[in-house]
Amino acid sequence: MTLVGVAVGVVLAIVAVFIPWLPDAASEQADIIDNVYWVVTIICVVVFAVVAGVSAYAVYKFRAPPGDMDDGSPIHGHTGLEIVWTLVPTILVTGIAVYSGVALAQSEELPPDHRVIEVTGEQFAWTFTYPDVEVEGGRPLTTGELVVPIDQTIRFEVESKDVIHSFWVPEWRMKQDAVQGITTNTTVKPTQLGTFPIVCTELCGLGHALMRSQARVLSLADYEAWVEEQQRLAREGGAIQGEELFAQQCGSCHVLADAGTLGEVGPNLDEALQGADADFILQSIVDPSAEIAPGYQDGVMPTNYGEMFTDPQLEGLVEYLLNATGGGAR
Amino acid sequence: MVVDVHEAREAEHAAAHGPPPRRGLRRLTGAGWLRVLWVLPLSWVFATLLVVGLRAALGYEPLWELQVLIVTWTVIVPLAFLAGLGGFDYWLYWISGRPTRPEDHSSHGARTWKDYFRVNTDHKVIGIQYVVTTIFFFVAAGLMAMFMRAELAQPGMQYVDTNTFNGLFSVHASLMIFLFIIPAFAGLGNYVIPLMIGAPDMAFPRLNALSFWLLPIAGLIMMSSYLVPEGGAFAAGWTNYVPLAVNQADGNLMFQMGVQWAGASSIMTALNFLVTIITMRAPGMSFWRMPLLVWANFATSTLVVLATPFVAGSQFFIMFDRVLHTNFFNPELGGDIVAYQHIFWFYSHPAVYIMMLPGFGIASEVISVFARKPIFGYRLMALSLMAILILGFSVWAHHMFVSGMQPWIRIPMMVTTLVIAVPTGIKVFSWLATLWEGRLHFKTPMLFASGFVSMFVIGGLSGIYLGSVPVDIHASDTYFVVAHIHYVLFGGSLFTIFAGIYYWFPKMTGRMYDERLGKIHFWLTFVGFNVTFFPMHWVGLQGMPRRVADYAPEFGNWNFVISIASFGLGASTVVFLYNMVVSWRRGPIAPANPWRALTLEWQVSSPPPIFNFDEVPQVVGSPYEYGTRGARHAVLNGKPTETGKAPEPMEVMHH
Repeated sequence: MTLVGVAVGVVLAIVAVFIPWLPDAASEQADIIDNVYWVVTIICVVVFAVVAGVSAYAVYKFRAPPGDMDDGSPIHGHTGLEIVWTLVPTILVTGIAVYSGVALAQSEELPPDHRVIEVTGEQFAWTFTYPDVEVEGGRPLTTGELVVPIDQTIRFEVESKDVIHSFWVPEWRMKQDAVQGITTNTTVKPTQLGTFPIVCTELCGLGHALMRSQARVLSLADYEAWVEEQQRLAREGGAIQGEELFAQQCGSCHVLADAGTLGEVGPNLDEALQGADADFILQSIVDPSAEIAPGYQDGVMPTNYGEMFTDPQLEGLVEYLLNATGGGAR
Repeated sequence: MVVDVHEAREAEHAAAHGPPPRRGLRRLTGAGWLRVLWVLPLSWVFATLLVVGLRAALGYEPLWELQVLIVTWTVIVPLAFLAGLGGFDYWLYWISGRPTRPEDHSSHGARTWKDYFRVNTDHKVIGIQYVVTTIFFFVAAGLMAMFMRAELAQPGMQYVDTNTFNGLFSVHASLMIFLFIIPAFAGLGNYVIPLMIGAPDMAFPRLNALSFWLLPIAGLIMMSSYLVPEGGAFAAGWTNYVPLAVNQADGNLMFQMGVQWAGASSIMTALNFLVTIITMRAPGMSFWRMPLLVWANFATSTLVVLATPFVAGSQFFIMFDRVLHTNFFNPELGGDIVAYQHIFWFYSHPAVYIMMLPGFGIASEVISVFARKPIFGYRLMALSLMAILILGFSVWAHHMFVSGMQPWIRIPMMVTTLVIAVPTGIKVFSWLATLWEGRLHFKTPMLFASGFVSMFVIGGLSGIYLGSVPVDIHASDTYFVVAHIHYVLFGGSLFTIFAGIYYWFPKMTGRMYDERLGKIHFWLTFVGFNVTFFPMHWVGLQGMPRRVADYAPEFGNWNFVISIASFGLGASTVVFLYNMVVSWRRGPIAPANPWRALTLEWQVSSPPPIFNFDEVPQVVGSPYEYGTRGARHAVLNGKPTETGKAPEPMEVMHH
C-alpha cells in the first residue's frame, strides 16, 4: 500500500512540478504568493497520495469475489486513528493559515517612498491616472494603457464608475475589485520589464470578456521619457497623436482598418463613420448616446471621454478618424 | 399473510376514494388541471388589470410598466396555479369555517401515472415527483452548458453574442443549484427519510405536496426569462452582484422572483424534515441509531431554515431597488454595494453545504452497504456533520477576499475556511477506513460513491488553495474557481445524486436498473468529467477569467479539449436517461432488499406499501451492523429482517 501511495505521490509531484502551472512571476508579490502556492501544493500532493494510495489498495485487495455473500470485519472505529486524522489536518491547516497570514502581510507592505496610480474601471475600459504627472491644463496624466517603472512599489487606488470590475495582472498575481463609491487598493512592485495583460475578472456586462488592456513595465529612464512624451502629446494634439490615442483607448471595442484594431463590442468604425463629418465624429466621442448605430445598445460606451481627453487630444483624434474613414477627403 | 392485509387495505382505499366524482360543468371547479386551465389566464388578467388600473388611478406613466408587471405576475399567477391544482383547498376550507373533508387518504399513493400530476400527499410519490422534475431541469441546464462549451471551443465569437452567453451561464448555474442539486437531495430525502426512521409519512404531508409544486414554478420562471423582450434572460451570474443586477434588463427580475419560490420550497421541506426526524422516529430509533443519511438531512435542514431567508432578502432588496426605486445598493445615495455580497454569501456559502451534506449521507449509506462493513467512526461522522453546520456559517467572506471589504475580516475568515477542512477530512478518512477489510461490491451506486470520494478530495484540496488569502488573490474569479466548484458540485453533489438514484431505484420503482449501462454511465461520466474540468485549473491560474464569452488566443487549445470532453460528458447523460426510462418500464422485478442492507427502507417490499409499514417497526440496534452474525437494525412484527453475517477470512480473494 505504501508503494501505491508513493507511486501516486511521485506521479502527482511530476505533474505538479513539470507543468508550468503559474505564469511568469513579474513582481515581488508574485514571488511571495508563489511560495505559498508551492507550500500548499506540497501538502495537497501528500494528502492526495495518501487518499489515492489507500483507495487503490483497498479496491485491489478487498474486492469481493462474484457471488460473495459474506460481510467484512465488524470494525466500528479506532479512537487513536480518529484522533490522528483530526489532529494532523488541524496542524496542517493551522500552519497554512499562519504562513498565509504572514505572506499576506508581506505582500501588502507599503514602503513610504511608493508611487500612487489611480485605476478606474468602467464599462468596458480601464483608465489610469498618474497624480504625480501634470499635463496641459494642470490636470494629471490619464492613459488607457498602464505604464509603470520597474522596481518601484506602486499603490494602485482602484475605483469604479459603474458596476464592479476587477483589476488583475496575472504575472503580478495581484487582483482587486473596483467598486463604485469606495476606493480599494492593491500594492505591486514590478520586478520584470515587459508587457503584461490586464484582465477584468468580475462579470461587468456585455463587454466583460473584452475588457482587457495591458501593463508595460519600463526602466526608470524609459518611464521618464514616456512621461515627457505624454506631456508633449497632450500639449500638441494632431493626427499622429490621434492614431496612438485611438489604438490605446478605442481599439479594444472598435474595428478600424487603418489602425488595425479588431474590437467587436462597438460598431465597426470603417462602416459607421464612413463619410461622416468632424462634428458627428466629435459628438460620437463625447456624447455617444446622441445617436446609436443600428444593432447596438445605448449605455455600453463610456460617456466621459470629453472630460478625459484634453482639447488638443480630442482634435487630434477627430482629425485622425476623419482621415482614416475617408470623411476628410470630401 | 401480510400481502393480503395489504391488498385488502388498498382495495378499501380505492372504494372510499374521496367524494363522488364531479360531473358536467362542476368538474371545472374541482381541484385539478381543469381548474388550472381557467384560473391561470384569469389570474393573469387580474394581475395585469391590477397593475394597469392602479397606475392609471395614481397617474403613473407608462401604464404598461414591464418590471412591475413581472413582479406582480410572478406572485399572483403561481399562487393561482397552486390554488387551481388544489394545493390550498384543505386550509382554505378550514380557515373559512367550511367543513373540511375528513382525511380519507384519497390523495395518498399513486395508482396510475396521472397521480404523479396531482397534489399528492404521499412522501413516496412526492419523492419521485421531485427527482423526475429535477432531472428535467438538470438536462435543460446541461444543454445550456453544451451551448457555452460550443461557443468557448475557439477564441472569438462564433454562435452567440455576449449577452446570450452571459444569460446561458447565469441560467445554467441557477437551474443546477436551485432546481437540480438542492431539490434532488430533497426528493431523495423525501422518499427515503420516513422509511428509514420507520414513519408512515412526513410530519406535514399537505405542506410537503405544496413544497414540491413550488419547484416547477421557480424553474419555469427562471427559464421563461429567455422570453422577456429586450435583453432576454438574466445575465449577471447566479450570484447576481449589484450594481450590475440593478442596471440589467427586465429579465433579471425573473431570477429575483424565481429564487423566492425555490427558496420557499426549500424552507418548507426543511421544516418538514426537521419535525419528521425529531418527532416521528420509530420506537428504539434514538439519535445515535439514525442512519447517517438522516443525520445529514437533519444538519442540512437546519442550514436551510437558518440561511435561506438571507438569499430571499438579498434578492428582494435588488427587486426593491429596481421597482420601488429604493437605494439599498446605490452608493450615490447611501447604499452599499459590498453589503449585498455579505448578505448573499451568508446564505450562499452555507448553500454549498446544503448541496453537499445530503451527498455525504448518501455516500455513507452506499459505502457501508457495498463494503459490507459498519461505517467507520459513526459518532464522529455524525458530529462532523454538526461541526460543518456550525462552521459553515462562519466562512462566507472567503468569497470576498478581493471585494474591497475591510481587510482584517480576511484573516478570521481564512482561518475558519481552512479549519472546516478538518471535519470534512474526518469524513473522507472514515469512508476510506470503511473500505478497509471490507468485501467491496462495485455495483453502480458504489462506483459513483467511490468516484465521489476521490473527486471530492480534489475539490476539497483546491478549496485549500482558495482559502489561503494570498493564493486566492491570484486565483479568485478565474477558471480555477470554475474547476473548484465543479469538482465540489459535480464530482461531489452530482456523483452522490447518481449514487442515490441507482441505489434506491429498485425501492422507488420496484424494478432493477441495467447494471451494465450503469457502469458505462459511470465510466463515461468519470472520464468526461475529469478531462473537462481538470484542465480548467491550469487555464485559470494562467490568466483566464471566468464568465467570459471570449478569451485570449493562448487558451484556445485547452478550451478546445475541454469542449470536446464536455460533449462526451453530456452524452453520458443519455445513457443514464435511457437506463432509467427503459428499466422503469421493463426492468426485472426488484426484490425487497437487493443490496442485503440493514436499514429500514429495505425491510419492506419494493415499492413499499402505501403507508410504508404494516406494523410499527421496533428499532433494536445500529443501522450498520455488518459482520456481526445475527445483528439486526430493527424488528418488524411477523416479517423477517436482514441480519449481519459473520465475516469470513478472505482466502478466496483474487485469482
